[in-house]
Parts: sequence; C-alpha cells; structure tokens
Amino acid sequence: MVSTNIRDLLTAFSPSLDYFAISSGDGRVKIWDTLKGQVQTEFADIASTDVSLLSKAERGHLSVDYTCMKWITLDRKKKRKLGSSLLVLGTGSGDVLALDVAAGQPKWIVSDCHPGGATSISFSASESSVYTAGADGMVCKIDPQTGNLLGKFKASSKAISSMCVSPDGKILATAASQLKTFNCSDHRKIQKFSGHPGSVRCMIFTDDGKYILSASGERYVALWRTGSGKKQSVCVFAMEHPAVYLHAKCFEKGEADDNDGLYVLAISETGICYTWCGQNVEELRTAKPTKVSLSYDDKKHRGALPAIFAAQLQVIPKPTSANVYLAYGLLVKPSFQKVLVEAGNDVELSSFQDGVLFPASQSIKSKKGMDRVTALDRANVEDALLPVPKVSDVHVDLDSRSQAESLEFKDDMVDVETPTTSMETRLRQLRILPNDGDIIKPVIESLTSKGIQLEDNFPQKKIRASVLSMEPSNAYKLLETLVSIWQSRSHSGKSVLAWISWILVIHGHYIVAQEKSEKTQLLSTLLKTTKSREVAVQPLLQLSGRLQLVTAQFDKDSLKNNHVASPDDQVEDEDDDDDEDVDERIYGQEDDESDLSSDDEK
Amino acid sequence: MIRGGRNYVSSPPVFSNDSKRLLVCAGNSVAVFSTDTGLQVASLDGHAALVTAVIVVPASTPGSKILCFCWTASLDGTIRYWDFAVPEMIRSVDIKLPVHSMVIPSLFNHLVEKSEKAVKSFAYICVEAKEEAEDRAKGLFQVRKCNLTDARLVGGAVLAEMKKPEIITMSSCGELLGVRRKRKLDIWKVPSTDSGRTVLKKITLHHTKALTVIAFHPTERILAAGDATGRIMIWRGFGNKTFAMANGHVNGSSMITDEENPGVRGSDDAESCTTWHWHPAQVNLLSFSSDGAYLLSGGKEGVLVVWQVDTGKKKFLPRIGSPLLHFTDSPDPSFSSISCADNQIHLVRRPSMEILKSISGIKLPYSHPEISKGMSSGVSFDQNAGLVALRTESYAVQLYSLFDDRGISEVQVYERNHQPVDEVTIVVTSVVLSLDGSMLCTSEVRLPEDGLGHLVCLKFWFSKSKAGDFSLSTIVYEPHRDAGISAIVFHPNRRMAVSSSFGGDFKIWTSNSGVPMKEESQPNSGWICHAVGSYKKKPMTAAAFSPDGSVLAVAAETVITLWDPDKNLLVAVIGEAIMPIVALSFVGNSDHLVSASWGSKPQLAVWSLLNLSTCWSYRLHVEAIASSPDSSSFAALVLLSDSGGVYDPNEKSHKTVDGLILLFNSAEPNPVAVWSVKKAKGGALAFIRNQSSDEESSSDQQQAAQTLFAYMNADHEYVLFDPHGTEAEELSVTRWKSQSSPEESGQVGYASLYGELLPPIPSRKHTPWSVPSFPTERPWETIFSGPSHNLPPLTLLCGPFLEALFEKRTAVEE
Repeated sequence: MVSTNIRDLLTAFSPSLDYFAISSGDGRVKIWDTLKGQVQTEFADIASTDVSLLSKAERGHLSVDYTCMKWITLDRKKKRKLGSSLLVLGTGSGDVLALDVAAGQPKWIVSDCHPGGATSISFSASESSVYTAGADGMVCKIDPQTGNLLGKFKASSKAISSMCVSPDGKILATAASQLKTFNCSDHRKIQKFSGHPGSVRCMIFTDDGKYILSASGERYVALWRTGSGKKQSVCVFAMEHPAVYLHAKCFEKGEADDNDGLYVLAISETGICYTWCGQNVEELRTAKPTKVSLSYDDKKHRGALPAIFAAQLQVIPKPTSANVYLAYGLLVKPSFQKVLVEAGNDVELSSFQDGVLFPASQSIKSKKGMDRVTALDRANVEDALLPVPKVSDVHVDLDSRSQAESLEFKDDMVDVETPTTSMETRLRQLRILPNDGDIIKPVIESLTSKGIQLEDNFPQKKIRASVLSMEPSNAYKLLETLVSIWQSRSHSGKSVLAWISWILVIHGHYIVAQEKSEKTQLLSTLLKTTKSREVAVQPLLQLSGRLQLVTAQFDKDSLKNNHVASPDDQVEDEDDDDDEDVDERIYGQEDDESDLSSDDEK
Repeated sequence: MIRGGRNYVSSPPVFSNDSKRLLVCAGNSVAVFSTDTGLQVASLDGHAALVTAVIVVPASTPGSKILCFCWTASLDGTIRYWDFAVPEMIRSVDIKLPVHSMVIPSLFNHLVEKSEKAVKSFAYICVEAKEEAEDRAKGLFQVRKCNLTDARLVGGAVLAEMKKPEIITMSSCGELLGVRRKRKLDIWKVPSTDSGRTVLKKITLHHTKALTVIAFHPTERILAAGDATGRIMIWRGFGNKTFAMANGHVNGSSMITDEENPGVRGSDDAESCTTWHWHPAQVNLLSFSSDGAYLLSGGKEGVLVVWQVDTGKKKFLPRIGSPLLHFTDSPDPSFSSISCADNQIHLVRRPSMEILKSISGIKLPYSHPEISKGMSSGVSFDQNAGLVALRTESYAVQLYSLFDDRGISEVQVYERNHQPVDEVTIVVTSVVLSLDGSMLCTSEVRLPEDGLGHLVCLKFWFSKSKAGDFSLSTIVYEPHRDAGISAIVFHPNRRMAVSSSFGGDFKIWTSNSGVPMKEESQPNSGWICHAVGSYKKKPMTAAAFSPDGSVLAVAAETVITLWDPDKNLLVAVIGEAIMPIVALSFVGNSDHLVSASWGSKPQLAVWSLLNLSTCWSYRLHVEAIASSPDSSSFAALVLLSDSGGVYDPNEKSHKTVDGLILLFNSAEPNPVAVWSVKKAKGGALAFIRNQSSDEESSSDQQQAAQTLFAYMNADHEYVLFDPHGTEAEELSVTRWKSQSSPEESGQVGYASLYGELLPPIPSRKHTPWSVPSFPTERPWETIFSGPSHNLPPLTLLCGPFLEALFEKRTAVEE
C-alpha cells in the first residue's frame, strides 16, 4: 500500500472559497469548482508558452515545477467583483507568474525574479502587494495589478524557505531555519527567533498580527509572539507527523478582553487535520488537538490513500467549535465539505466510494442502483402508523393498554415453558412476587458494614470469630435477616447457611430463650424451609450421580488429560442446574441441597 | 445586494476580436466571459432595462485586435459605447425609444474607414414607436436609422413598420440588411458611403410560410431563410436587378436573361430558390460559415445541422438536449458558440464539432400545462445554504446557488430522457426542499393520454455528503388516490413531511419514524405514511408547519385546521376565509398565521393563534408569501391587477411594474416597506440566511444583516438584499419605489397606489375579541325593551344609558 504524502502538494483556496487550486508538482494546475465538485479549468504549459519569447520555448509542462502558490484577490471592497482574483505561482527556475483565473490566461510574469527558485509567496491585502522570497535570500515586492517589481531587499544570506507578511502589511517574516521579522517599510530587522532545527516549510501570521505560526520538518508547530523580546517559541503544538499546511483564525471572546482567542489548524503530511483552540496562549499550551481524519477501507484503496489536502477555518460561532471548510479525498477527485469541529470531539469523515474515473453524473447513477428505493403503491395508507384521528383522550387509551399487558403477564405465569428469569423479573415488576431484592439490599449493606460478608468462600474461622464477637441480641437479629435472605434466595444458600449454623452453634441458647419468651416462629420456619428443601435433595443427588458418571465417561474419552473435576465443584454445578429445574416448577421453593451439604459438612 | 439568475440567451452573444472573450446580453447588463475557462470576467452595468443587442467594433487591422470597444442597445432607449476591457462606459446615445434590435453596417465597411476619418456612423435599429397613442395601442415597431455620431434619430427615415419587434440581420461585410415580416423578407442595400439622406434600395422576397430567421452568404449573393415548418430556402442571386442598377459593381454572376427563375415566387428579384427540408420544427438559427462553404442550422429539436452549400449534404451535432436559439461565429475560425433555450451557451470547436466549454445560467421558466390551481410555483429555497431548487424543462430539478450565481447540480426527477420535440407527458408539479436542505420532495403528474394513464407520483430524495447531491429514497404512487397534490411541507427539524391533496385528505409521511434529523443512523430508510387526516372531506389546499414543528396547519378550502402532527389530533379550527386558501405560513416567532386566497375576492389574512381569529386582512392577490424564521415579519408578493394599480403619470414605464413586495410586521397591518417589481406573476420570495457576512466578518462589513431577502421573478432573475438596510433604496430590482423612512412613507406609497382597496380596518383589529364580553354588559339595549308600562322611570334609565354611551365611545376611540 502506498502511503499518502501530501508534502509536495500545492493547494490554495480562492478567497471566497468557491474555487480550489491544486498542483501536484507536474507543472499543471487544476482549478476545482468547490460547489459542483468538478474541474473548472486545467492550466498546463502556461509558463512555457509565454516564456517562449525568452528563448525557453517548447519545454512542455513537465519541466515547469511550481514551488509555491497563493490565491489573492485584488480589491476587497467588492468581493463579488469578477475577474479580480489571481493565482500567483512561483517556479523552481525562479520565475513568478500570476494567472487570471477567470480569464484563463497569465496576467503577468516576472522572469528570473529569484535565481535558484522562488520558495514562498505572501500577499498583504491592506497594501495590495505581493511579496515573494526565494533561494537567493531576497524578498521582492510586486504590484499584483501589473507585475512590476516595486522593491527588493536581501533578507538573508542563505536561502529563504518560507516567508509571510502580517495582515496589516507592516511586518514581514522570513525563515530558513531561523525566523526573522522585518519592518516592511525600511527593511530593518526587528526580531530573530530560533528553535527550528530544519528549514521552515510553512509559516503564517495570525489575523491580528501578534503571533507567527511556523512548521518545519519536525512533528510540531511553533507559535511565536511578534511583539515581545522573547526569542523562544511561546507555545508548541505537538503532532504525529510534520505539518505541511497551517491556518489560524482569531475569535472574539468578549468585550472585556482585547486579546482574542486563537484557533489554530494544521494539516500533517499524512493528510490529517489537527485543530487547537484556546482563549489565550496559556490555554493553547495545554490544549489537546482535535483531529479531523478520513476513514477508509484498506481493501478498496489500492493506490494513494485519501487525505485532507487543505482546510480553511471559517466562522467560529463558539469558542469551542469552528466551521472548517475542507478539501479532501483523492488527488484525482477531491471533495469539499464544511465540517463543524467541536473541541475535544474528533471528526472522522467517511471516505466516499464514488467511482473516481466516472463523471459525477454517472457515478450518481450507478449509486442509485445500489441504494434501496422504497416504493409505495396506492395502498400506502394501510401502513399508516396512526389511525384516522378520533376525538378521544389519550390517557384512557394508555390505561386500557396497560391492563391488557398485565393480563398477558398472568397468562405467562401459567405457561410453564417460558424462561424463568424473564418471568420472575416480570412478576417482580408487576408486584406479584414480593420485590425482596429491594428490601434486602440495604440490609446486606448494613451487614457488610458490620464485617459480615455473605460470600461463598468466606473462611469458616472468620465467621466463627465474628459470630463469637457478637452480642447475643445482635446475633439473633442477624439470624432473622439471614433466614429471610435465605428464604428470598437473594444470596447463595451455602454462604448464608454457614452463618446461620455458626450463629445457632454459638448463640443457640440465647436464641432458644428468645424463641420462648418472644414466641417468634423463627426456628420453626427455619426448620420448615429446611425440610421442604430436603425433599428435593434425594432426586437431585441421584441426578448428580448420573451426571457424574456421564462426565467421567467424557473425561476418559478426552485423552485423560483433563483432571476429573473435583466432586465438590461438580456437585455445585449440578446444584445450579437443579435449581433451575426447581424454579421452573414451583415458586417459593428454595435451593436446599447446598445448605444440606453445608449442614452435612458441619 | 446580489443579483443573478440572468438570461444569457435572450440575444445572440458576440465574440471579441481576439476570440478570448464572449459578450453576452444578460438582463440589464452585458456579461463578459472568458472563452478559455467559461468564467465570467467582467460585467458592463449601466443599462436600466434589458440589453437587446451588443456589437463589437471590429478590428480593421491585425494590430488593433486587442481593442475592446462595443456598442450596446437596450430597451431603456439608450445606445451605449463601452470599453469592455476596463470595463467602463465611454458614451451614451439617448434615443428615447426602446431598441429591440440594432446593426451598425458602417463598422464593417472597411473601405469607408480608410478613406474618411470623420465618417458618421449610422445604426439601423428596430424601435418601438410610441409617440402617438394609437400607435402604441397597435404596438407598432419601426426600423429606423440612427446617427450615432450626432446621437439622434434620422428624421423621416422609417424603413419599415411591423407589428412585432424583429431582428435586423446584416451581411458580414455590412452591405445588406434584412428583416423578415411574416411571410416576406425585406432586404436593403446599404450604400458604401452612408449619410442621413440616402434612400436605401429595397427588394422583397416572398414565401408561403412564416419566416423565422435569415442569413446572408459572406461573399456571394446568397440568402438563406428558415421558416416555421422547418424548411430552409436558399435564394441565389437575389436583387441582381435592383441593386445592380443602383450600384455598378455586382459581384454575383452576370445578369440572367432567361425568364425562368426556378422556385422564385412572383416577380421577386432573385435568380433561383431552392428548399432544404430536414428540421421537423421551426428553424431558429441559420448561419453561413465564414468561407461560405457551409450553412449551419438548428431548431427546436436541439440538433445542429451543417449543410454543404453547394451540394446540400448534411452533417449533424446531435444531443445538445435543448432547443437551439442562436449561433455566433468567432473571428477565430475554430470556435463558435451556440445558445440553447435552457440558458446555456456552448462553445463549439468547429471542424470537429465538439463542445469545449459551457456557460450555463439558471434554468429558465418554461411553459407546461397547468395542473393544479395551487400556488406551487416550483421554486423552493434552502434558507441556510442559500440554494434554490427549480424545475427544469427536462424533468429535472436544478439546484442553484444564489450567492455564487451558479448552478450546483441537477437532479433528474423523472427517469426518461427529455426530447425537446416530444410532447410533454410529465409535469413536475412541485419541488420542496427541507429547511436544512438535506431532503427534497418532488411531485409529478403523468398526463393522461386519451383519458388513461393519469398518475400522480410523490418522490422523496435525501442528500448525501455534498450539498445538492440527492438520491431517491422513496417513490409513492398515487399518494392521494387520483387527487392532485396541493402542497408539500417538511417538518422544520424532523424527518417528517405533509402532503395535502385536493381529494380531501392530507398525509403525514415519516422516515426513521420521525426521529430528529441529527441522529441519522441510517439516512436512507424509506418514508412511510404516518397518518392520514381529513376535515369534512373538503379539499385540502395548503399546509404549513409551525417553526417549532409542534403544530401543523392545513387549509381545508376556507377554514384552517390545526393539528398535532405526532398524534394526528385535530387541535383547533380557524375560520373562515372568503375564498379557498392557497397558501399558509406561520410567522416566525409570533403567534400569527398568514393565509392567502385567490379567486374573485382575493385575500391576504393574518390570523392570531391565541384567540383563533382574524387579526387583519387585505383584499390583495398574493402571489407568494415568505416569513422570516427569526423575527415576526413576513413578506408578501402582491400582483397589481390592471384596475387595482393607480396609474402614475410621472412614471413612463409604469405599465411594466406589475407587482409589489410588502414587508409586514405580523402584528401591524401597515407595511413596513414596499418595493415595486416587474414580472411578479410566478415570482417567489424567501428569507435567506446571510452567508457572505460570516465568511468575511473580519473585513469591511461591520454590520452585515443576518437575514437577506430574496426575490425571484417569473424569469428566474433574482435579487438578494437586506430588507431593513438602506441599500435597497439606491439599487433596484427594476425600479425600487422605496422610501426614505420606511415606516412613514411606506404607508404613503401604499395609499398612493391602493386608493380603492379596503382600508386597513383598525376598528376590526381591536374590537372583535372584546366583543363577547363587552356587549352583554351594555344595558341600554335591554333597558328599552319590553312594554312601556314596565319600564322604569326615565330618571332611573337616564344614568345607565348615558354611561353606556360613554363607555362605548371610549372603547371605540382607544
């Protein structure tokens, strides 16, 4: 599988986001219509045809390598004004050219502007001038209307890898590996920032011009403050892959604070979009990235993986969420979508399976075949969910319905074959069975708080110790609750019976006395339940014996590797089975074989 | 203020001299497109009415090819001269008569330009003569000559008069002019040195059928004309006698001596006339190629035919898909353009006949058999995305972006291809987009053939990832038995829709059993009928959901029934309008409901939901209603009937204004603002959430309005503006009759135009609800009843009687 790397891709949105220019380094520029999702125009051979006057003719589009691209609009006042948007391109041979996108022809070309190659283009809207930087370390100022060179100065002795101008057009920042800011009017150096080990690939100013964001080959984006004397980055945003595309937008958080919040967007080499937001730098420092990624099926994409190519932050309605306009998908057919990104919620865009090679209309047709289309005929009313309206009270309806339901439940109870669990719970819900669990739960909680734990493998010694430490009266009360627990079978008989037997052993006298004086029937009820459960024990034991035989046969067959399960466990297993049997037949009967066995143990 | 939706095919387009640009008459302006990309590059704005002709000044020398000057003529009575590269207007010639067609032969006559530099250029124009009242009644149109240099009409030089405006056709070198007049052709020869006095020589050719289009051969004296039945006549050597006498050098063949002129009728001055017949219907375009070897023709069937002039052999460019209207050659011989009736201009590469680029505008309205008497105009707006969905002639729905003035996509509603020549068998009756634009509902009617096969079909579509990309979810055949659908509305925030029918019931349809739209687990689950409701078996004529979706209002002819859509319970009934209601709308966040009824007594009424009665009403014929989602205002598009409109003598173009947009605050019967518009019949209104403001909120727009108001007229031209801003005053859809202070003069404008309408009825507005409690306490009605001997003494009666009078007076006055 080919992994996508969008590092060498040049992308630019038109200022009103209705077109998107993309160039993949083969000298062709494709303009996509973002509304229709179709190619509007393809520019190839622009430079070669027009530069032909300068004896560089017939080179073909492959020899032109664009290194940077910027879409600018000339007059901001009338943004719907036609014919005022230019696509400014820099080439590896050092030319800078501007394409009038609407007219489809080059507007101007500055040849050999930067010997060694132009590397970066920036546009200052307030001054309406284009700045370019190149490998020769020069920064050129160009009039976007005519293409005249307005000014030129040497910003660095080394090659400039990236350059940008602040929105107010006063400060210019260049970067190789070191960032430098200049005053645009007198070309005086203002500041120097260092920190990036490699050359900076991408750099932008924030809207208010107070910060610079830069990204180089490392896996982070650095934020620098322009006003202060600090030479270190203010804040660093970590990413999983190096960033190739940056965008930032300020948002107002309130009247009181003049420092606006900042929303930062970065796209990594692998085509994943990261966003951070914060009310201030401190918050940004701790902000976690929110990712927008594409989900794709590994099997379906043999070639390049779909990726997010470019993104533009649009409106920030709330400090925590932003509208992001994305260009994503495959290079041959990008899709465009506006996504609402909320901080903390990663977005996964579903990758489309549209046939890429088909024109849009055809792929829709083929999809239509796959989609399920419901067809309703003349009798569509028969499916109507609601009856034809009548004037009736809704509550009456509900009552009668619930009555009907309860009747049904009673029928269920007669029916033996229904599964016990559901029936029991339903009976409990309907209050036909006493809902013991609810009552006993607090009791159990109180018991556990006293150190009495009704667990199956609670050591006998501990039980004995705790029973010994009890006051006789407390022990009697405990006995009462334990008997009720046992009867209600809210806990397994084994553990409860252990406690009961120990209480009877230790506090037997007191209990007998209590029984006589209070004339309670505790012991007799205990006896009764034990008796009633005893009846079931004999057939159960028989059954368990048979099962034991059968399982023994199985074990023999299976290479005798497995140890025969300990008889104890087996008995228990069978007990469980039998419990269920009993449950199915008679309600109110409890599992007593376990208590008998435990009794026997004593 | 955004305008768009212009018609690009009203007049033939023109190429610039370097063939890089195409000048297209688009409404009140001329749009300049790049032929390389098909994108609009510039716009020539300035004309106040439809631009009918544009002529690029040709380049006489190869070096002047970059010159970009053009003349335009418009119905506003001006002819203007532009530099379209900049673009700016250089000169304007006001001739005060609407120009329907214009040619300037002297521009193409290169010989003249070389000889005299101060030559006067004359334009031949087809104008509407309206000086005399009786002429106007007849609708007389004249072909006249206009001196462009002196900016005046040449007096007395009326070349022809006719009943309908006709296009003047000119030969490529500007020597000959032709105008068709029903079954005749008038042809004039323009002298090489033209002056105001020169009388043009004229010949007339006759045919038995109504002629539709003419073309002159570029070099030889050959004339081609198409007629209404699809025949193409080729006259060769016409006017040899007449024109030869006037002018010495005739480049045609020598004078024919024999009397046999095959095919030529009567005493027409032509050598021969041959007929070619391929087109099954009317021929709309005819054009000779620049070398004269080929003749191109096209018509309603949407096939471009290339005839070899000498042999009559044919080649075809089929499947253009829409009737062809105009054909324009460019100076570059490899390029030409075809204008189609579906508002598309195709740029065609010539020898290979392939379409390179298409310039497409909004789909134009088309004529179709009227199915229902409801108000569904086939236009639906997506308020959030600023989209509009329109029916197209090819059984499809076009989604058009209002902000970008571009088509986004087309949804083919009916699965059969549309052939322009075929008889119409399917009518898409309504198109409705849901509030968030994710769902679309269409209804179509298959017309019966010999009384059989009538079928109503309702289709639900859902949108996939991209806006405007819809696929079919559910088809419902005969949703209301045989009855037609009067209205379809979507629930504002759930997957629920209501269709009401003339058959006396309405049905609530749900998908995913009406779960909120946000939780779309499976977007493509089918729609099913959720409930059926009816009220006294009356036809259900309109429907509306309240903004929160809790109340459904369905109009059963004259009464409005309110339903709980979930439980399908009738909540209340509001009555009673005078005529059947055709449209309903809840007003944003107020307690009011607006209804419009048509018929002999049309009415616009506002109902209060709190006390279930009328608040106020007007007797107006309302074409469309739109209510703002987040305020208590609504707008109504009102048609001015001929008697209703008070003629304003100051406005000469008054008769073209046939509609008003009234913006109301629902509580007040006085309109907040009034705008007058043209072509209101079939128009549509909507409030659209402003997109442009939030995209560039940081830029110079400090106070952009949240909601914009969209008006689309019958020709699908639209305008977007801020209803509360001042912007609308200076700019106009056609001619805004707006006021400086909306509150005050809004009423003035109203009163001036509606002297005879029902008064706003202030008393009716206040009294009706207090009436039930009020009159019972009025004693004086009962005091005097009964035999006189039972009456209390007058001294006792006097007090309460006077009191009652006082009470009544104050009640009325407040």
